[in-house]
Amino acid sequence: MKKSAVRQFCSMKISGAMSSSLPTLPAPLEENYPKLPDSQQVTMERELSSNRVPPHNSTMTPYRAPYHSNNGVVELLTSSTSKFSADQYYSSVSSHEIHPNNAPFISQSSSDEFSVASSNLPHSGTFQPSSSNFPGECTEATWCPDSVEGILDYSNNIAANNNQIQSSSIVASDELMKQNEWWTDFMNDDWKDILETATETEAKVVPPVGQRSPNLSVHQSAITQSAPSHSGEISAATNPSPAANASAAKPRMRWTPELHEGFVAAVNQLGGSEKATPKGVLKLMKVDGLTIYHVKSHLQKYRTARYGPESSEGTSEKKTSSQEDLSSLDLKTSIDLTEALRLQMEVQKRLHEQLEIQRNLQLRIEEQGRYLQMMFEKQCKTGVDLLQTPATVAQPSHLSSDLTDPAAKKELPEKGQDGSTAGPSNAKIEEESPRPVGEKMKRTDAEANGEAYITDGSEFPHQKRARSHDTKSSSDTSAAN
Amino acid sequence: MKFGKRLKRQIEESLPEWRDKFLSYKDLKKLVRLISTTDASPQAEGEFVSLLDAEVEKFNAFFMEQEEEFVIRQRQELQERIRRAAESLRPSEAGYAAEMGRIRKDIVNFHGEMVLLVNYSSINYTGLAKILKKYDKRTGGLLRLPFIETVLKQPFFTTELISRLVKECEIMMEAVFPAAEEQVERREREALAMAEQSIFRNAVAALITMQELRKGSSTYGHFSLPPLILPDPDLLQSLQIPSPIPIQ
Repeated sequence: MKKSAVRQFCSMKISGAMSSSLPTLPAPLEENYPKLPDSQQVTMERELSSNRVPPHNSTMTPYRAPYHSNNGVVELLTSSTSKFSADQYYSSVSSHEIHPNNAPFISQSSSDEFSVASSNLPHSGTFQPSSSNFPGECTEATWCPDSVEGILDYSNNIAANNNQIQSSSIVASDELMKQNEWWTDFMNDDWKDILETATETEAKVVPPVGQRSPNLSVHQSAITQSAPSHSGEISAATNPSPAANASAAKPRMRWTPELHEGFVAAVNQLGGSEKATPKGVLKLMKVDGLTIYHVKSHLQKYRTARYGPESSEGTSEKKTSSQEDLSSLDLKTSIDLTEALRLQMEVQKRLHEQLEIQRNLQLRIEEQGRYLQMMFEKQCKTGVDLLQTPATVAQPSHLSSDLTDPAAKKELPEKGQDGSTAGPSNAKIEEESPRPVGEKMKRTDAEANGEAYITDGSEFPHQKRARSHDTKSSSDTSAAN
Repeated sequence: MKFGKRLKRQIEESLPEWRDKFLSYKDLKKLVRLISTTDASPQAEGEFVSLLDAEVEKFNAFFMEQEEEFVIRQRQELQERIRRAAESLRPSEAGYAAEMGRIRKDIVNFHGEMVLLVNYSSINYTGLAKILKKYDKRTGGLLRLPFIETVLKQPFFTTELISRLVKECEIMMEAVFPAAEEQVERREREALAMAEQSIFRNAVAALITMQELRKGSSTYGHFSLPPLILPDPDLLQSLQIPSPIPIQ
């Protein structure tokens, strides 16, 4: 998607600018990259790292191959974990997401050192063990607890460079060996540099990000398609911003408490919110991707919050009235008020609790839906082969068109009309022949959805009509099974 | 239509400056109806999608702006509290009680606003899911699944930061509030008084709406949420205040 491409690009800029002086690090550092929202990013990330490599080691480019092979796995995992995107801001990347990337890599690599590193790197929380392998990395352990949100930005950015980066030849395991050796050579001195620079400039730094930054910095100059508006949207410490990227005039920044802390520190350094200028604050913060526009608007909000609490949001009325109340308050009434506030708090807490539960449910529902879709698509391919022989005469053309093109919107209006006829016919099919398909459908725990998918690829349009068929067919198949 | 009405009620109960930031459910429904009747497939869908994108943008912009303000305020509340606590250390002073009362009120209202923002996110998401479902149903399209995928990743739906701030606020509350005294009658009296306050009122309305939304629908399916189970259902009943506007 466009958004993700832009995001990718932005994070790229951020990391690049952060450590422009740092030498590039070997591609093995790429292992630290967390799971990417889509395989494309993985591809790009690898490509980028390999691109970066040429200045130092021309043999690095073949490095990309193992990642390409992982893409399918990556994609599968990311699609099955909807929670991933939800967690990208705070939680470190779940280790299972990284492992698929690493596993093939490890198998290819003959270097024990590297495989140890890569197996340890997936989770930022587990980063510490790996640091023991590399002398210079010890100080990095302090970064580990930080959340890994920046990682996605970086990986996102890398993907944006896909246009410029050409994927090339296949990786040989000896290439990896060379990379590992090269990496360890750099480790001692460069890591300390990275750490110092990173901790200075970043309010919130993620270890893998820090590692990656040297990789990206070399490409900073290579990034010709830098869109200033885009880079402005993302700060290294914040999350990727949405499609707001599209308008250069209004880039949207997502402020986090950590970023805000950096902001406040900068403001205080400049002598307070009144004296501080957006330009000065921007310079002091040294956060990539932060534009003066962001700082300006944030500073404005900050000033209002500090010096105009009386004119702040809708609570002003209540505040003044409550102040009047409180001034003439005796102890008994203040207790009442406290109780009332407590009650209000209880309701609010309850609401929040329910909202969180609801949200998790919604996420899981969508995850399930995606999984079903995927399963269905898989079944389609196997089902078509199986159906073509035993299927009843009238159906094959119907069904094959339904199955092979579930997403073909052109056919959908036709399906809409044929739905009533396709319904019973599909029900029959489910009863009669595609035993493997039917069974597999059952396993996915949603017969109705399965049949709906068969009819026209989306479960709702015909779910109602198909429902009676579902119960009939499911009872039949269950009886048969 | 039920969701439309509930959404409308929720909007009415919400804070004034939020009212135009909600999903334009009715307009989108009209568009879906239009598309399904005229059936101009590719362009109409493109138009619908762009309208949805605009809505999502609206949510994102508003959400992120609010989030930013909350981030600033959260730090503010903390600082304020610390400063005040440091200044008047003796709880016996009259000014201290007033100040603490004010701080408590601020914190509770701040908490409430943040929770309402999460609710805003939830309601809009639900509305989007519903409208997409309607679209797919009416036009036989396959818009829902891919579109909802993108929505899940949007800032306005990724409410982790706000939830975190809410929890931190709750912790702050524990520290600021004195030990609880169970006085049931007083609570009930105060409950009614508090319910007049708009944030509280809004929160109550949101809870009730959520409960009703999930009670059950005619199109209950695999993508529907289960009914809402509140630990203390009487709480809401006692808090329900008669609305000035008669609701059909």
